[in-house]
Amino acid sequence: MGFYHQFWQLTVDGLSTGSLYAVIALGYTLVYGVLQLINFAHSEVFMFGGFAGIFVVRGIAPGGASGWSSVGLIAFGLICGAVAGAVAAFTLERTAYAPLRRRGAPKLAYLISAIGASYFAFNLAGKEFGRQSVNGPNLYDNQTVLFHIFSAKIRIQTVLIFGVAISMLIILDRLVNATRLGKAIRAVAQDSDTASLMGVNVNRVIVLTFIVGGLLAGAGGFLYAQVFNASYTMGFIPGIKAFTAAVLGGIGNVRGAMLGGLLLGVVEAYGGDLLGASYIDVTAFLVLVLVLLFRPSGLLGERLGRTA
Amino acid sequence: MRLRTTRATAGVVGVMVLPLALAACGSSSKGKATTSTGPSSSGSTAAQTGGTVTIGFQGPLSGPNSPQLGINGVDGVKLAIDQANKSKALPYTLKLDQSDDQGTPDQGPTAARKLVDDKVIAVVGPMFSGATKASEPVFSQAGILSVSPSATNPALTTLGFKTFVRVIAPDTVQGKAAADYMVKKLNAKKVFSLDDNSDYGTGLSKALEAELKVDGATVTHDGINPTKIYTSEASKIIGDNPDAVYYSGYYSEFGPLAKALKGAGYKGQLLSGDGSNDDQFIKDAGGASIADGAYLTCACGDSNSDPKAAAFVTAYKALNGAAPGTYSGEAYDATNALIQVLKGLGDKPTASAVVDAYKKVDYVGLTKTIKFTDSGEVQGDAVYVYKVENGKRVVLGLISDLLK
Repeated sequence: MGFYHQFWQLTVDGLSTGSLYAVIALGYTLVYGVLQLINFAHSEVFMFGGFAGIFVVRGIAPGGASGWSSVGLIAFGLICGAVAGAVAAFTLERTAYAPLRRRGAPKLAYLISAIGASYFAFNLAGKEFGRQSVNGPNLYDNQTVLFHIFSAKIRIQTVLIFGVAISMLIILDRLVNATRLGKAIRAVAQDSDTASLMGVNVNRVIVLTFIVGGLLAGAGGFLYAQVFNASYTMGFIPGIKAFTAAVLGGIGNVRGAMLGGLLLGVVEAYGGDLLGASYIDVTAFLVLVLVLLFRPSGLLGERLGRTA
Repeated sequence: MRLRTTRATAGVVGVMVLPLALAACGSSSKGKATTSTGPSSSGSTAAQTGGTVTIGFQGPLSGPNSPQLGINGVDGVKLAIDQANKSKALPYTLKLDQSDDQGTPDQGPTAARKLVDDKVIAVVGPMFSGATKASEPVFSQAGILSVSPSATNPALTTLGFKTFVRVIAPDTVQGKAAADYMVKKLNAKKVFSLDDNSDYGTGLSKALEAELKVDGATVTHDGINPTKIYTSEASKIIGDNPDAVYYSGYYSEFGPLAKALKGAGYKGQLLSGDGSNDDQFIKDAGGASIADGAYLTCACGDSNSDPKAAAFVTAYKALNGAAPGTYSGEAYDATNALIQVLKGLGDKPTASAVVDAYKKVDYVGLTKTIKFTDSGEVQGDAVYVYKVENGKRVVLGLISDLLK
């Protein structure tokens, strides 16, 4: 009876967690699109964004806030998180990938470099920011129910995560599909040699792709840290989930990452309720395997250049 | 699935292999040097180099798995060693060798092997049940005493570990007391029992649920993967509408769980065990507004409010710069009992003599009298309950007294 009773609530919870996965998944998918590289250090970009946002918000209002000042603080925290994420992603690209690209290293070298950078980054954060988790100030009273959707109670936290994440997804979708930069990203994804012959500065596009992914992950990091606390290992599980979401939707595909993230969140919420919380990951990966069995390149297919 | 630990393992392989390899090279070449110079070396496991004996400590000192509990423990060991050295209680200087297992089973054996390679005389630790279960075969094989201040999984003393004892009551004791407290004192008729799928968590929840059923309460069980994202779990629990939620696991997950539950409008009682009994829980939960009203059970007393422990608290603060926490007193007692044993073993103690003597020890400590049964359990079964009030943990007293 629990499941039917809580069906809408679980759907809403799943969509809200899933939208966070989707925001991170976009970073994986964008970089994969232009470089055919799984940027495993992306979860650390997310983590740096989380710390930056939380530190700034704590610095301004250590005792918490309410009303419009909370809205302002959250907006400012998001911006700081996004900027920190972009800086982290840029630094990562310059130090871990650009030197390899200049020397024309094989793809495997990028992967090892990504894993190394990930370890370095999260251990550095552990050393600098401490091994305990850091919680943000209370900016809202989450017990207040804003409104109902069917039987689901919608609270501020749900609106915050889902609203911010979906806005970012829409902005990114427009960026990729309707701007000059987006066209350049798609061109490089489709065929970087040809794009370069057509006058696209491939290196610049790659750097910008990292920065866009970093902006999203950083802002997502702040959202996550505000709700679930910041810690130096916070990137790992959301990173794995987001990577799964990206593969589920079709890695390299922007809309696929969004769909994959939302689907993964909902599947996890249902699976956790029906089978027990121990089976959350089992359900998630079972769905992944089933999807890949029938659609080996993910739900919406693989190529950023063609389908996005 | 333990995704988090997978990467941690890979990391440790990378980080630990090199220094371990170096340490192994160093000690083997040293060993060769001593044997070639003559038959004067003691030849046993005595850990003496220039008038020092090394005591090992193993527990979580970093990582996402509640490292504060390990820090509480190691600081207690440090104080006991410091006091022994200052009072010149032993004919040699004691040294501490810390080994960080991050509280996970997969890093336990590596951390244990480091201590064995360093030729420690005995080990205080490991702290967490999962890490203990994985590490004890290493200590058993090496014949080194391992005395845990905090590993409470009931099965640990039944697995044939020859050199393992603990100075804390097993979770059969804590689980029973916690269940009785919920049903008889908090009037819970429907309890949601949640564990973290760890050796510690499953052991505690099993003991708890057995007693809850004896007491006539309805029990729902669920096991979570420690991911810190509990939004949908909170909805599930609220859908079940329990009078009380008991979480068997560590504070680093109990904090976010409490936050998610309160955020989703949970109004019932919230409880957890000794693994969550640390002030860091209140911080992780997001402060007093969420943590207030939570109960924490522990087979451990609070030295900060115990008048008999005042000298210990003062000395602890002076040495470590913080007040003692959960297990600090147990670790201090375990180390002091070890020091008492060492006193009787002359100036060249061996690891095997320490094992034999420690099992027969009778030492009046701060937290309890340390005296072991044949299986390696400490005698006594006192379980305390703590409550978070105004953002602070307050000890309410012994559960057996409160139920009278």
